[in-house]
Amino acid sequence: MTGMQRFQAIMAGQLPDRVPVLCNLLDQGARELGMSIKEYYRRGENVAEGQLHMRKKYGYDSLLGLFYVAMEAEMLGCRSIIYAEDGPPNVGQLIISEPEDIRRLQIPDDMEELPRFRELSACIRILKREAAGRFPVIGVVTASFTLPAMLMGISGWLNLFLSGPTELRSLLLEKCSQFCRRQILALRQAGADLIVYTNSVGTATFVTSRQFHDLVLPSVLRDLEGIGTGDLVYFNGGGQINPQLKTLVEQTPLRAFYINPFDDIGEAAGMLNGQALLVGTINDIRLINGSKEEIDDQVKGIMEQGKRVTGFAFGTLMMPYVIPEENIRAMLESAYRYGSYKRGA
Amino acid sequence: MENRYLNDYFDAVFDTDRDRALEVIRQALDGGVTPEEVIFGIIVPSMEKMIGGMVTDSLVTLSQHFLASQIAEEVTDMLIPRFATAPEMQGHVIIGSSFGDFHGLGKKIVGGCLRAKMFQVTDLGINVRPERFVEAAVNGGAQVISVSSMMVHTALGDMGSRRVRQLLREGGLEERIKLIVGGAPYRYDEQLYLQAGADAWAATAVEGAEIISRLIKEVRAQ
Repeated sequence: MTGMQRFQAIMAGQLPDRVPVLCNLLDQGARELGMSIKEYYRRGENVAEGQLHMRKKYGYDSLLGLFYVAMEAEMLGCRSIIYAEDGPPNVGQLIISEPEDIRRLQIPDDMEELPRFRELSACIRILKREAAGRFPVIGVVTASFTLPAMLMGISGWLNLFLSGPTELRSLLLEKCSQFCRRQILALRQAGADLIVYTNSVGTATFVTSRQFHDLVLPSVLRDLEGIGTGDLVYFNGGGQINPQLKTLVEQTPLRAFYINPFDDIGEAAGMLNGQALLVGTINDIRLINGSKEEIDDQVKGIMEQGKRVTGFAFGTLMMPYVIPEENIRAMLESAYRYGSYKRGA
Repeated sequence: MENRYLNDYFDAVFDTDRDRALEVIRQALDGGVTPEEVIFGIIVPSMEKMIGGMVTDSLVTLSQHFLASQIAEEVTDMLIPRFATAPEMQGHVIIGSSFGDFHGLGKKIVGGCLRAKMFQVTDLGINVRPERFVEAAVNGGAQVISVSSMMVHTALGDMGSRRVRQLLREGGLEERIKLIVGGAPYRYDEQLYLQAGADAWAATAVEGAEIISRLIKEVRAQ
């Protein structure tokens, strides 16, 4: 089966030959092409080539059309991106430092007018063409509740949503939602088959249950209203989402959830109750120093729980650059072995 | 002191209601509670109860940690000058985010907690060069350097806490200045602090304060 067939099978409620595997290798593409990370991310064609190389090398089931998370801030006016040699680029300038900056924030009507989005879109188009229907191309978008952290810093955003003026908070969320929705449509237009919707600040790691119901849930509903959600996957972005999962599946149209390594797979499955797909996630920071045996045990545990669930995929978080190649291979080999649905597996 | 101030303040912070929390403090002061009692009888116990994980029936979130710590710092800075006698400081801590790291949340939470627990805190901000950490510790006579990293490459990179360790070693300062780290990567792998060259790590601000207190005692026992 191809990666696309595996995903199509679980989306249709059928069993594929093995659990589909998502592996989020980003900056590693630069190493693959012998480029610096800065040079690599300059052009969409570099990123596409890196992604195609890595998928072929490791054999996982999707192609990732994402550069780095901070690029969304860049699209909205951030002029300073800090590059490292061994990790993801970072926001080096906050574009919102005073209330007036929120009022001045302009959301582009046409994403393709933005030079950085054009590079991303070029990357996705290449991936789509080269995948030729064999592997889903994944686009990634930041939820409106999380995007402000990149524009004004996490402390600034917490201050605004906890104690700031309601009018300003609403205005910022509304603008970020506009950006989120336009980006989802533009990613689809470029050819993304699946879109990962990342809401790290909206997770139970950051917000209380009351904040989730009062602020996060309405923002999610607004982001997704009227744009179709069959291709969307709700991603934890590093925080835990199990405490919110029941509400999310009952009150939003989302039908795929990518949980955190600290979220219990069995508990998540119980709350989804077969109504949505579940992506179980490995603690990929443990891959930096883990032995093959430890990695094998971790993958085995995830797969044993996951295979009891209807509609299960295996995924990683953001796979740090320093994970040794042999450990990436060890994780994937274990995932292919323990993820098999063949008789006796 | 009436327990209701402690309970009301804790409830307000738990609900992330900044205005209500500050109003409780104002009422306590107006009601005759001393500045010392406000800090040690309301602010610190509430912070310990919440950030220290003593609330077990609910997942305590970073927004609650942030608010509790922010108010703690603000009220402490306001009330220390009104103490009957100058408080005895537990020690001096240099704090900052590692070089290349522009995340300041964890550092802010820890800083506020440390101030309320009577540590002298020098906050160097975000994206701090290793040399600045060491220079500030030496010049300020600090016993502990605390480095926050939210990303793996800033936690383990050559310009992060590993370089701080190298500078301490080269300067013959390892007995005088201890190194503690914190941040998301360390939560995902509890042994990672060793690779980062640190003496210790902490999962929460309250735990951080306890470990820093122990490290300071070790330094002073030299």
